[in-house]
Amino acid sequence: MNKTFISFIVFVGVLLGFHNVVFPIMDIKEFSWVMNRYVYYLLIPITLIFINIILRLKPPVSLIALMVWVLGFYFYKYVLYPPIPWTLFITYMVMWSIGTFLYVSQDAHTFREFRKPIVKTIIGEYKLARIVVFALLPVLVGWMTYNNIYPAYQEPVELRTVHPAPPATTKVHGKTWTLETARNPYRVDEQDNYKNSFPFLDADKNEYMKNVTQGGSLFFENCHYCHGDQLNGNGMFSHVFNPTPANFIDPGTIAMLRESFIFWRVSKGGPGLPNESTPWSSAMPPWEEHLTTEEIWKIILFEYWYTGWHPRTFDTEESYVGQWEKEGKPAGVH
Amino acid sequence: MNKIVRLKIGRILFAGLILMAFSFPATVIAQPPDVVKKDLLDKGKQVYYKRCVWCHGVEGGGDGPAADRLFTRPRNFIQGTFKIRFTDSGELPLEEDLIRTVTNGLPGSAMPAWGGFLSPDEITAVVQFVKTLVQDRSFDDVEDETVVVQEFGSNPWGTKEPYHLGIPQEAIDQGKEIFIKNKCFECHGGEGRGDGNPTMKDDWGFPIVAADWQQCWNFRGSRRHHFDPFNVVRTVSTGLNGTPMPNFKDQITVEDRWKLAAFVNSLCPRKKIDKLTSKPVPDFLISSLYTEGDIAESIEDPMWKAEDDDPSIRERSEETKENPRKNYIAMAGQITRGKRNFDPKTDNLWVSSRWNAEKNVIYYLVEYHIRFLSSDPEYPDAVALQWPAKLSELFGAEKPYFINGDSKKPVDIWKASFMAQDYNSTNPPSETGYKLDVKVEETIGHGFDAITAKESEPKVKVVDAIFKQGKVSVLFKRELTTEGEFDVQIPSEQFIPVSFLQWSGDDKEKDEHMAISTWYYTILEPPLPDSLYYMPPIMAAVFVCFQGWLVWMTKRTRKMFDDGKSRRDFIPPDL
Repeated sequence: MNKTFISFIVFVGVLLGFHNVVFPIMDIKEFSWVMNRYVYYLLIPITLIFINIILRLKPPVSLIALMVWVLGFYFYKYVLYPPIPWTLFITYMVMWSIGTFLYVSQDAHTFREFRKPIVKTIIGEYKLARIVVFALLPVLVGWMTYNNIYPAYQEPVELRTVHPAPPATTKVHGKTWTLETARNPYRVDEQDNYKNSFPFLDADKNEYMKNVTQGGSLFFENCHYCHGDQLNGNGMFSHVFNPTPANFIDPGTIAMLRESFIFWRVSKGGPGLPNESTPWSSAMPPWEEHLTTEEIWKIILFEYWYTGWHPRTFDTEESYVGQWEKEGKPAGVH
Repeated sequence: MNKIVRLKIGRILFAGLILMAFSFPATVIAQPPDVVKKDLLDKGKQVYYKRCVWCHGVEGGGDGPAADRLFTRPRNFIQGTFKIRFTDSGELPLEEDLIRTVTNGLPGSAMPAWGGFLSPDEITAVVQFVKTLVQDRSFDDVEDETVVVQEFGSNPWGTKEPYHLGIPQEAIDQGKEIFIKNKCFECHGGEGRGDGNPTMKDDWGFPIVAADWQQCWNFRGSRRHHFDPFNVVRTVSTGLNGTPMPNFKDQITVEDRWKLAAFVNSLCPRKKIDKLTSKPVPDFLISSLYTEGDIAESIEDPMWKAEDDDPSIRERSEETKENPRKNYIAMAGQITRGKRNFDPKTDNLWVSSRWNAEKNVIYYLVEYHIRFLSSDPEYPDAVALQWPAKLSELFGAEKPYFINGDSKKPVDIWKASFMAQDYNSTNPPSETGYKLDVKVEETIGHGFDAITAKESEPKVKVVDAIFKQGKVSVLFKRELTTEGEFDVQIPSEQFIPVSFLQWSGDDKEKDEHMAISTWYYTILEPPLPDSLYYMPPIMAAVFVCFQGWLVWMTKRTRKMFDDGKSRRDFIPPDL
C-alpha cells in the first residue's frame, strides 16, 4: 500500500486514540508534573515521529504540513486550558498557519515538494481528488453565503457602570449626609472582635451584636429575595432581574466600597442611579421609602459582619469609633 | 463509629435493599435512626446561628424574621417532620437525607443550596444540631424510633442527565393510566399544574398547594437533577411528611411508580437550567414571526401550537416546527415600590408572537400557569404588556422605569383583566376549560403610583382568552401603527423593549401589588430576504469561474515550461 496513505491513517488513528483513551486517563484534577494535559499533548508528536521512523514511512512535506497544522488546531481547541475566546483562537491559528507555511517554504526543495500534490490536483493528474475538491468547494462557498445572509437576531448587548460615581451629598429622611465624611454610627467597635459571636445568642450581651441581629433580621425580611440567604446575589427572585443583584461575597462589591457609598445606594436604590447605570431596570428599591435611617445603617453593619469584609477606608482617616457618643450625632450629618 | 465507615455501611445496606427489592416483593428492613453525633454539636450550633436562624428561628420553630413573608414557610423542626426522605411516611429522615437537603437546597423555595458555600464538614455538623432541635421525638430514641429505607428500583430506561430524554411513549401512556387510576389529578390537576385542590393545609394549618409538574425545576426534592424521574419515584414511595401528599407504596408497584414518574416527567418542558439559581435561563428576545396572510385569532389554532421545550434540546414535532417558539419570561414579586408582593403566585410567563406588515397587525400570545383564579369581581386576575410609550424619544439603551414608567419616560400598558365564566376553584378538572370575560384597559404609566387612562381611542384587543387546566392563555392584538399620543408605535427589525405584569385575583393583588418581569426585547423579524435564494448560487458560480481560471493558468505555465518558453526555477542538487 501507498506509504503516504499509511502515514495518514497512522496520524488519524493516533490522534483519535489519544483523544478518546489517553486524554481522560492523563487529565486528572489534582496537579501532577507527569499526569497533565500538556505532557499528554507532547506525547502525541513523539508517538507519531516514533511510528513513522520505525515503519520508514517518510511522509511527504505536504502531509507533514497538514499534521503540524492539525496538531496546532487540536492544541488550541482542546488542550489549552482554560479555553480561550474564539477571537483569540482565530488569532493564534493565523499565527500557527503562517508558521506552518514558513516551515514548508524554508527552502526550495521542500516548497516544491509541498506544492506538488496541489499542482497535480489542479491540473488533473490526481483525477479523483480534482473532482472531489472542485465539486465540493463551490458547494461550500454557496453554503457559507447562505449562512451569512440568513438573518439572525440576538438581543443587543448592554453595558452598564456597576459602581457609578456617588454624589457629594445625599438627603435621607430630611438629613443631608456628606458622603466624604459620613460614617456608620453603629460601627462602635472593631468588627473582628465579634467574629465568634452569634446573632440572637449574643444579642443581649453587647450592643454590637444586638445591632447585627437587628440588621440581619431586617435583611432577611427585605433583602434576601434578591441578594440571597448567602448574600451572594442568588436570592429566589434574583434570576428575574437584569442587572442581577449584587453579590456581597464577591471582593468587587462591598469589600471595595466605603460604607457611605453603600448608604447612598441603599437609600436611593435603582431610581437614584445615574443614566450610565441603567436606573430603569434596577429592581433595587429606594429603601428610604421602606426603612428608617437607623435600620439602613444596621443592615450595612450586618452585611459586613456576615461576609467578613471590612469597609474601605483611607489611611488618613481618623478613627471614628464612638464618635456618635462624643458629639451627640453621627459623623457627616449637618 | 467514624463517618466513612458509617457511610459505607449505609451504601452497602442501600445497594442490598435495591437488590432485595427485585428478589422479594415486599422487603421491610427496619433500622434505628441515625443518632446525633454529639461531638459535632458545637460546630453545628455555630453554623446554625450564623446561617440558618434567620428563617428557621432561634428554637427551630420555622419562625425566624424572614418566615412570615415566605410562601412556602421555612421548616419547623420541632415536630421532626421532614418532607424529602428515603424513609417511610411519618418516619424520621436518614442523616443522608438532611445532608442532601442542605447541600442541594429546596428549589422553588427560599432554601438555597449550601453545598459549595459551606464545607461538607460544616453541613454534617449543622445537620447534627438541627436533629437536636426536634423536640417531640428523638433521633437518639433507638428503642421506639425505627426507619425503613424505601425500595425505589432503578431507572428502567437508563436515561441520562441532564434532560433524561428517550423514555418510550408506551411507558408514558401507561404512567398516565396509573395517574388517572390513583386520582392524582384530585390535587395535581388534570394536566399536572397543581390546580386540583385550593383548600389544602399542612400539619401546622398553613395553606399549601400541590406541585406543578410542568415546572419540575421547582420540585423541592429535585436535588439539582431537575429532570430525573427518580425524584417522582421517591416522592410517590415516601410521601411528603407534614403535607397532604401520602405515599403510594402499597397501591402502586415499584415498576409502575417508574412508569408514573415517566408520565410526570414527560410533562416538564426541557429548558436550560441556570445552575446557580435552579431556574430556566430566560429567553430575553421575543422574536415575532412574519406571517403571510391571515393570522389565526383562536388560541386553539395549529398556528399557535408549539412545545414549551427549548428546540435545541428536544426537537419540535412536524406540525409545530414552523411556528414561533414559546419564550420563557421569568417573573418575580414586585418588591421595590409601594405595596410589595413577597409571594407571587406565578413565577413565569410563556410568550410567542406573529405579525403581518400588509395588514399592519401584531399578535402576542401570553400564557402562564396559575392554580386558581379569582371568584371576586373586586379582584379580577390580570396580565399586561408594558411598552415605552415614546419609543422614538429613547436614546441608546435608555428605557422607562420598569415599574410603570417614570415622570420623563412614560409607558404604554396593555392590561387584560378577566373573570372565568362558571368557574369555581373547587370544580373538578375540566378538559374544555373556562371562557374568560376580558376587559382590556390601555393606560399610561408615569410612575409606580401614577397610572392614568388613555384619552385616545383604545386600539388593543384581546381576540381570544381561555383558562384551561391551570393555564391562562390570552391573545393580544394591535395595529403596528396608531394615532394615539401615548400608543407605542411598533417598527419592524428593531429591538423594542417590552416587559410583563401579572396580578393574581385569588391572592388579592391589584395595582403595584403584582408580579413583574424585567425589560425584555421583542423584534419583528422581516420575511426571509430574496437574496437568500439567489446569492448562494451566484457566489458558487463565481467560485467555479475562479477554479477554471486557476486550472487554465496552471496548465498554461506547464505548457510554457514544456515548450521551453519559460524556465523552471532552478534548484541546485543535494550535496
